[in-house]
Amino acid sequence: MLRRRTAIIVVATLFTAALLLSLFTHSTGVVRNDPARNVWIPPELTMPVQLQVAYNDAQIFFHYRWPARQPHVFTDLLRYSQGKWQRQLSTPIGSDPDGVYEDRLAMMVDDGSVPEFQRYGGYITVGANMRDFTGSGPDAAHRRKYLPATRRDPNEWYSIVDQATLEAQRRAGYFLDLWHWRAHLSNPLGRSDDQHVAWYRLYDSGEPLFVSNWDRDKGQPRWMFDRERSGVRALRWEDVAGGRRDESQPYYLLAATAVPFDATHPWEEGDVIPGQVLREPSGSRDEIRVQGQGRWADGYWDVTLVRALDTGHPLEDKVLRDQGVYSIALSVHRDARASRWHYVSLPLQLGLGRQAKLMATRFTGPTPNWNRVETREVTLFYPGQVSWKHLSSARHAGSKYIAKGVPVKYRHKETQLAQYGVEMEFDREIRRQWALSLIAGVLLVASFVFSVSLLFRHRED
Amino acid sequence: MGPYHAIMVHFPVALWTVASGIVFFRAFSDGPLARAFDRVLVPLLLIGVATGVVSYTLGLLVWPPDTLQATPLGRNHMIAASWSLSSWVAVLFLRWRVGEVVWEGRVNRLIMVGLGALGASQLAATGTLGGHLHGGPAYLSELMRVFGWDVYHTFYTPTWVLLVLAVVIVVMPVLAIVTTRGRAARSQREEAGQ
Repeated sequence: MLRRRTAIIVVATLFTAALLLSLFTHSTGVVRNDPARNVWIPPELTMPVQLQVAYNDAQIFFHYRWPARQPHVFTDLLRYSQGKWQRQLSTPIGSDPDGVYEDRLAMMVDDGSVPEFQRYGGYITVGANMRDFTGSGPDAAHRRKYLPATRRDPNEWYSIVDQATLEAQRRAGYFLDLWHWRAHLSNPLGRSDDQHVAWYRLYDSGEPLFVSNWDRDKGQPRWMFDRERSGVRALRWEDVAGGRRDESQPYYLLAATAVPFDATHPWEEGDVIPGQVLREPSGSRDEIRVQGQGRWADGYWDVTLVRALDTGHPLEDKVLRDQGVYSIALSVHRDARASRWHYVSLPLQLGLGRQAKLMATRFTGPTPNWNRVETREVTLFYPGQVSWKHLSSARHAGSKYIAKGVPVKYRHKETQLAQYGVEMEFDREIRRQWALSLIAGVLLVASFVFSVSLLFRHRED
Repeated sequence: MGPYHAIMVHFPVALWTVASGIVFFRAFSDGPLARAFDRVLVPLLLIGVATGVVSYTLGLLVWPPDTLQATPLGRNHMIAASWSLSSWVAVLFLRWRVGEVVWEGRVNRLIMVGLGALGASQLAATGTLGGHLHGGPAYLSELMRVFGWDVYHTFYTPTWVLLVLAVVIVVMPVLAIVTTRGRAARSQREEAGQ
């Protein structure tokens, strides 16, 4: 039989241990990857991008530098396996286990014609039930970015306004310019892809940078490497899996140098040919170039993009002017991830000769001296599955601030948004666990106090 | 209800802050001033709990339940407020039910100090989270991060810890009952033997 004092000490120790155990283990045990629900949480929720911007009378230069453990320069590969050519069509959930998905950097640009963008950035382009969201369904592959006013109901993907309204919106500048640098599909050409977001994520007009190499009818590639020029007809799977790249071999297929596919060649298990053929673009699609080389070294990508201030395509590219202030938002795909598994930034104000959060440096001559240009470190974060529908609904406590036009940066930090994004993906599970924890905590205190009250009142001689 | 909640919370915050001061003071002093303070502890706690319940109820009406429970900050504010209220109800219950015995001996005093500290820290956490929700984050949240709680993470415990807590919740009163009944039975036997 315990003495009263000993019993009090045991009870107090149990109570204290329970409290400490709760403190040390809290917020664990629920968040885990679940590919069946399209849930995959990146190990790092934020990442930095260093950004420099300079401009002269005719062009604007953006220099981006961001960390990546290794470069991923392959995407969409055609692979000879089990006696036939096969194409990987589905996007990986999170990091591609084979490491075969290219690194990408994208930047949305607006001149103030999309007023919500400067306050909420890319969130406004994320409608309900977007592709790769949990429960979005198998028919959601086409449900990509769009601007809210391009829909009669901003939360209903299919309620697109009529063509005349879309055209009027475009003339009024209601679209976001989208610069899209891709390690495989644009970088080898010294280009960035040029797109824009309006009723959909659209490509600018002109000849594309890449065309499919997949002959669906024949179930085989259309083109292959020219052995005379490249030294190989195809790559080997073991040389590219894991994102590896043999420097002595080509990693992309150029239309100018590729040769028609030879079906009679004795192809071997594990032969690989790129699924897209790169070609010279034209028109509005050919406006953004890579200055020098976009290259990866020592754990970092360094990419400089350059474009005319005015490309002459005002319905697809935002015209930038000296003394103008613009909004930009960045995104990065790395570690062989695709689709929504990227890092994004909050909108950043960019001034060309005018006061702004980030001032572009004006220079004379053909290229800037980057040593004289301010470097701004921008924090990018994993956004999770947070849609504009959720943010503007009553379920979001901040929706009243959105209705008032309060910018996101006044209420949230990037680290906070990343954490919120993750918790949104486990909303039901976390809420249940939280409710049980709340009740358990109350009962623990009640049980402890009841116990010590019994022991306090019971005096020993 | 937000403004009314903000007004109302001043009362329990003030009363419980004073109460925690009294608990600490009385635990380390048997002087007349400490005893005088102790005499007002129960009414102080009673008013604190009453105003705390009103504040808690008003807080539940600031946002619809689904909204409040959809955000980590809202969930954390609610859990901290619930535990804060429970802790001060516990201190009130103990001091009222047991009387001055709570100040007898080092162990009893240490338990009162522990409960006071628990209530005070939970009160501080609740206020900090309320500030965050109201749009005025304080640096106290950085201090909470040092102690292992990032306020932007919902505070919940894994299932195995919940099971451990359930066992502790049951074992503590069982231990107390067995100890007190055993002692009482032995005392009765000893008295009967005499």
